[in-house]
Amino acid sequence: MDQENEITLRKLTVDDVDDFMVWATDPKVAHFCSWEPHTSVEDAIAYIENVVVPHPWLRAICLNNRPIGAISVTSNSGADKCRGEMGYVLASAYWGKGIVTKAVKIAAKMVFEEREEMERVEALVDVENGGSQRVLEKAGFVREGVLRKYLVQKGRIRDMVMFSLLRTELRD
Amino acid sequence: MDSSRITLRPFKLTDVDDFLTWGSDDQVIRPLRWTTISTMEEAFNFIKDVCIPHPWRRSICIDDRSIGFISVFPGSGDDRCRADMGYAIATKYWGQGITTIAVKMAVPLVFKELPDLVRLQAHTAIENKASQRVLEKVGFCKEGVLRKYTYLKGNIKDLAMYSFLIKIVTEIRGEETEGTQFTMSSYPSA
Repeated sequence: MDQENEITLRKLTVDDVDDFMVWATDPKVAHFCSWEPHTSVEDAIAYIENVVVPHPWLRAICLNNRPIGAISVTSNSGADKCRGEMGYVLASAYWGKGIVTKAVKIAAKMVFEEREEMERVEALVDVENGGSQRVLEKAGFVREGVLRKYLVQKGRIRDMVMFSLLRTELRD
Repeated sequence: MDSSRITLRPFKLTDVDDFLTWGSDDQVIRPLRWTTISTMEEAFNFIKDVCIPHPWRRSICIDDRSIGFISVFPGSGDDRCRADMGYAIATKYWGQGITTIAVKMAVPLVFKELPDLVRLQAHTAIENKASQRVLEKVGFCKEGVLRKYTYLKGNIKDLAMYSFLIKIVTEIRGEETEGTQFTMSSYPSA
């Protein structure tokens, strides 16, 4: 990506609702996610207020300062605070351009810098989601294995591939 | 050892002496999140407040005397499809295949008693070879190593992840198919 098409991360707010609706209403985007496509602006605003804003770490993925997706990392407590789970979503018009790979690298670097206790960023990807698996491989994550029949997504039980990036593996 | 002497049953308050014997042994407790139990009072309270109300914990017994435990922690909500298993036995009984027998006995009981369970998982620190051998002998599948996954007593651990999927006996064909069909209608196979 050159200077004219800069990828940056920033907080996502209710003011971003129109851009949010672009990916949040798209069934292609929602396919491997736990949520159903949003159907109204009110619904989207409520989601941003109740889920996005209070999230421990969630950023809009911006192209030239306009949100085209989002990336998040969970926060654990106690013995599990060494790890956080990353998730991301991108408007389908921008798929296949390396944008999420770039956002993943930026987000991992930020989260390791902000949280001293973090040693591991992990991500669980549906076995059938080849695009997302390639993102993580290109971002330098290690594929640790397939967790069989690991979780229920939209009423169906799924095999999930576990990836992780350790603090010691962070590269520019 | 005659394997009919090995049984699983819920804990009882009268297990307190036997519990203290293995519960106070650092070698037994070290790989667990538990802290060692040092007094009769602690043992009694632990049995009463933790073991008895536990969603699924059984005493591993020889001649009905407690020599260890097996626990299963089911998930809630959508995570009811999976559960985590843990176990330990007194050092006196290590290396004799007893834990393997006990876990083999526990697996079908757990699937029967947790109706939404599809995936029984267990993780062990990668250096815990004995525990990995138990899981492998019982038929758990090693899926991978989760690196720097959690802290255990101040040390960050790489964990080996193992799982055992529900087996349904297809009566007509008389074969076992692993994890491809489910008894609960809420989980159609993907």
